[in-house]
Amino acid sequence: MAADPCGLIHCEPPGIGPDPFDTMSAIFPKWTNRLPLMVLTGGLLVGGALVAGAWYYLTPKYSRVGYKPIQPVAFSHNTHVNQLGMDCRYCHNAVEQSWYSNLPDSAKCMNCHNQVLKDDPRLALVRESAATGQPIPWVQIHRVPDYVYFNHSVHVTRGISCVECHGQIDRMEEVYHAQPLSMTFCLDCHRHPELKLRPLDKITDMNWQPESPLQQREFGQRAIKNWKVESLENCSACHR
Amino acid sequence: MNPLPSASPPPESGRAYWRSLDELSDTPEFRQWLEREFPEGASEWFDPVSRRHFVRIMSASFLLAGLGLAGTGCRRPEQKILPFSKMPENYTHGVPQYYATSMPARGGSLPLVVKSHDGRPTKIEGNALHPDSNGGTDRFAQASILNLYDPDRATRFLKDGIATTPEAALDFLATLSRQLQTGGGRKLALLVERNSSPSRERLLSLLTEKLGARVFLYEPVQTAADQLAAQQAFGRAVKPIPHYDRARTILSLDCDFLGSEDGVHNHIRRFAQGRKIEKPDDSLNRLYAVESLLTLTGANADHRLRVPSSGVALVAAAIAAHILRGDSRPQGLDQIAPPPGVDPRWILECAKDLLQHQGQSLVVAGHRQPRVVHLLAYAMNVALGNVGKTLVLNEAPPLREQNLPELARALHAGEVETLVILGCNPVATAPADLDWASAQKRARTVVRLAYYEDETAPLCTWHLPAAHFLESWGDGLAQDGSLVPVQPLIAPLFGGLTELEVLARIAGYPTSSPYEVVRETFAGFVKGANFEEAWKKFLHDGFLAGSAARPVAATYNPAPLSQALPSLQPALPSKDRLEVVFHLDYSVDDGRYNNNGWLQEMPDPITKMTWDNAVLISRKTAQELGVKNHEMVEIALGGRVTRGPIWIQPGMADYSLGLALGYGRTRTGRVGHKTGFDVYPLRTTGAEHFAVGASLKPLGTTYPLSCTQDHWSMEGRPIVREANLSQYREHPDFATRMNAEEPPVNQPLYPNPLDKLKPSALHQWGMAIDLNRCVGCSACIMACQSENNVPIVGKEQVRRGREMHWIRIDRYYAGNPAQRQYTDSYKREQQQQFEAWVDDPQVVTQPMLCQHCEAAPCENVCPVNATVHDHEGLNVMVYNRCVGTRYCSNNCPYKVRRFNYFDYNKRPITALYLGPFGRRKDDEWDLLKMVKNPDVTVRMRGVMEKCTFCTQRIEAAKIAQKVKAGATGEVVVPEGTFTTACAQACPAGAIVFGNLNDPNSRVAKLKQQDRNYSVLDLLLTKPRLTYLARVRNPNPAMPDYQEAPLSFEHFREKMGDPFKHSNTGSGQGHATGKGGH
Repeated sequence: MAADPCGLIHCEPPGIGPDPFDTMSAIFPKWTNRLPLMVLTGGLLVGGALVAGAWYYLTPKYSRVGYKPIQPVAFSHNTHVNQLGMDCRYCHNAVEQSWYSNLPDSAKCMNCHNQVLKDDPRLALVRESAATGQPIPWVQIHRVPDYVYFNHSVHVTRGISCVECHGQIDRMEEVYHAQPLSMTFCLDCHRHPELKLRPLDKITDMNWQPESPLQQREFGQRAIKNWKVESLENCSACHR
Repeated sequence: MNPLPSASPPPESGRAYWRSLDELSDTPEFRQWLEREFPEGASEWFDPVSRRHFVRIMSASFLLAGLGLAGTGCRRPEQKILPFSKMPENYTHGVPQYYATSMPARGGSLPLVVKSHDGRPTKIEGNALHPDSNGGTDRFAQASILNLYDPDRATRFLKDGIATTPEAALDFLATLSRQLQTGGGRKLALLVERNSSPSRERLLSLLTEKLGARVFLYEPVQTAADQLAAQQAFGRAVKPIPHYDRARTILSLDCDFLGSEDGVHNHIRRFAQGRKIEKPDDSLNRLYAVESLLTLTGANADHRLRVPSSGVALVAAAIAAHILRGDSRPQGLDQIAPPPGVDPRWILECAKDLLQHQGQSLVVAGHRQPRVVHLLAYAMNVALGNVGKTLVLNEAPPLREQNLPELARALHAGEVETLVILGCNPVATAPADLDWASAQKRARTVVRLAYYEDETAPLCTWHLPAAHFLESWGDGLAQDGSLVPVQPLIAPLFGGLTELEVLARIAGYPTSSPYEVVRETFAGFVKGANFEEAWKKFLHDGFLAGSAARPVAATYNPAPLSQALPSLQPALPSKDRLEVVFHLDYSVDDGRYNNNGWLQEMPDPITKMTWDNAVLISRKTAQELGVKNHEMVEIALGGRVTRGPIWIQPGMADYSLGLALGYGRTRTGRVGHKTGFDVYPLRTTGAEHFAVGASLKPLGTTYPLSCTQDHWSMEGRPIVREANLSQYREHPDFATRMNAEEPPVNQPLYPNPLDKLKPSALHQWGMAIDLNRCVGCSACIMACQSENNVPIVGKEQVRRGREMHWIRIDRYYAGNPAQRQYTDSYKREQQQQFEAWVDDPQVVTQPMLCQHCEAAPCENVCPVNATVHDHEGLNVMVYNRCVGTRYCSNNCPYKVRRFNYFDYNKRPITALYLGPFGRRKDDEWDLLKMVKNPDVTVRMRGVMEKCTFCTQRIEAAKIAQKVKAGATGEVVVPEGTFTTACAQACPAGAIVFGNLNDPNSRVAKLKQQDRNYSVLDLLLTKPRLTYLARVRNPNPAMPDYQEAPLSFEHFREKMGDPFKHSNTGSGQGHATGKGGH
């Protein structure tokens, strides 16, 4: 190499001797020129996959929605509600009084099942429970954290249907977790209650639909005004 | 691997040595062994699975495990729902149930309503339905629920100290009963506590009359002295009920009716009614207190005279000498002179004031005073025409006298073979001269039913665990004589027995079920009526309507007083012959609440001391004896000694030592262990309440005491604002005139978002505390602790200022400015203790809790928004956001925020510093956690907490109202639906909580009063909690009259005279004083 009068470096190799660049290319093959780009792309892909994976695994959507444990008794909401037309509150009778929507006692099952399917082997556990007093160990599906004080009664008596949180439970052969029940999920509705409010006689009607989104909005806004429904976004609404 | 040095070559000649046969034969294996450092397989991998392969497999399995973990392990653990197989009637899971019951107490049962969450009692409230109650309770009733879940309570049936079966114990009781039936009753003695249960009385009389057993009554402290004296003075069995609400002038002769007499909650309620003031022309009652200790009553008095307990009788006689005239004047009254140092004008003017309010005055004597003082008090009440007006005499069953010495004599005489002790702990509490332990050993068999395995337990043949009153069927008479039930909320947790059951079994009663016994007793009360309906109503209401005792007319008999008076020559204490006063403790009573952590940690309302008692002593006495705070001293009285730390108590009578009972127990639970020192050994028969002749000797050592308020004075700042009635009448706006000059802020830099929300919100919560009604009894602290799952932290942590109470009661002393060596500097009590101004202080108490400032300083320093405002004006605390920076606490001017330095729930207070080794055992925690309110989060370590205005109650009330409203707009919670735990427990009705949006709510109206002010108004925090200033009502004729309260004088001295300015309307902008903001 030699500096020319202009001070520029000549990249032209000297005429004789082995080309130093040839030597370099023997060590680093030509494709290494693309290496930074490949690392970057690969990093982005792997990183993106990690983030996406973590995102998915750590959200309630993954851990809860679709959760369908095997219950000790194969109770079908579809049969009881959809086909026989029973109201939710026949079994979950405390839902309008308590924060907790109770499961029926075995004695309540036996109100009907001492006549209907009285010897069905699928109901053996229910009969046994009613006879011995041992409770049926149902597997809990819907649960909010301990620091959340959700109250069923105030929702179902003020225009929020079961279907909003529990999904189309009337169609479920086996109950599964239909909605994420995350804080965002709660807040979506608390911010815009007008989109979910419905007439009080339609609370347990899982198939009720507003005639149109516009009609829903009108009804909701009227209810907010007349029933004084609050859009509660404060911490104290749910945390104590 | 370094090659081994080669084996030494075989010598070319001479003898060959070999190290082994292998070497000798020079096998290839040996050659290889020599060359290797480690045996084969130690440093290389000969498995077909290569190292690379192994790592590959392991990483794959880790990956799978991780996936599995993410898929299943991260899920919440599977939980089961176990519904009833048959739902109990009237039960809804998640909706608390309330039962009316009552708490047995010495002076009559306390009617209660107890909340039960899914079968476990969690909160005790007063029964507001009861005609003699406003729903308030005392601190013991509030804290008694913790005793139910005390892991240290007696749980075993013991025979000679060895655990046995309940059946064996019941068999023994059956044998005992058979012996009695065959004439063995002469040798049976029963020792019982004072209790008003008619069922127990019925069984006891059956035992005494039919079976010949003897019944003895014992209470460590005889608190029914007034009733016994009344029986003597009026010649018939009556129960005197003082009506403080009807009295305009009250004289208390060492009677702590606001603190430690029987039925304090009723006295506080009535007294507070007399302190109610709304307009300047309202009148106030006036309280004169003569006492030796500074009690709550003295703290609330308008005029307080401190004399030793032994001198109170002389003061009483001197006042009586001015009041008793003519026939009622007993012989010898004139010969009695008031104790030296008492201003005769004090006595004269006090008597004059009483005489001016004939029929509207009241003289009460305390249980520590001898019979003669009570007789003098009745004589004065009769002479003043108060009987039947302010002092009502109720018909009552005759009261048994205490007769433990008689039992001790009978035991020593061998007259008792079988002794049945129900509840009392005589080994720890009996007068020392009785030598009770040896007396008890004289009985062949001792059967005891008790709640704790305490000092008496090892000396008993049979020890049976007692049931808590929340586990028992029983009955009792309330203070007004009405019949109240004791109804169980839970089956006995450890199979404890009730007194009624034990008595019924011993008596061979047809039924041993206390339920049946109580029903039979009840049938005697409602003869002829529809029994079952009446019974149901009785249990529902919690009292039998119309069963209250009727007032009776009684004629006063002056003879007992005339007989007692000549013997009134008390010895007065001096520096060498000190007086000791044994008093019930505000926290542990006579020791029965010694193992109750809530009460142990409750600061004493006056001394503010926790976890300990101390030798309370006046400044002058301490100086003369050369002792100071925390110094250990030995007190000797009649050859008996005890040792305790000194605490200089302002307002104590000179040469008088206050010794609280109930501490220093040798056998108690883990909570009460090593708390305080025992003063029972100094007590002797006949000197159970006070004695003169003690000496005090410093030991030269010190003992740490945990006191929650070591600064005594307000330093002239208007924290508690008070004025005399005359000042209030002249300047009704005195409280706002004491406001500081507002800083020149016209417009806040940022608008307060709450202002925008206010018009649309349904409620705006607020509180008002009337300082004129608050007496400082501390029931609110206990109620808050119970309602809000507030943990206890232990003595050591309290000393570090880490107590967790969400509400505290600040107690300030104000001294005479003439005596004060005023300095601006902050002084802890160590420096204050010898200043003369503390001798006769005026005392004010102020409940201090989160003020729920609209412009809260805590909120804008939280880096994680863990404390924020809600739209209804609550300053809410979000525990799961809190990261524990404690900035909020630093920035809170009211110092009401509390930080969880440890996980106080999961760790016992003795093992806080043991890290993971200090965890509470699971079975202990299983029991303790049952007392927790499920509607309130149990806070973890590292989280800030504070008063929430009982947000769980607010939300519950709002939800209930919304459920009721359904498709209507009736969603505003009506006034009176609910209140906070502190307000509900307050017997004085000093705390009022409600909706400020409703102009007709009580709280909104209170805030309209002239006396309304906010603490630290100069900071412009706009608290939602405001206070109503205190008004004192001193008598201008008294020698200790001050034109203004002493704290007001201090304020005037420092900040300038608030009345010197003409702007009466605005009430602001006066302060031209010496600064001090």
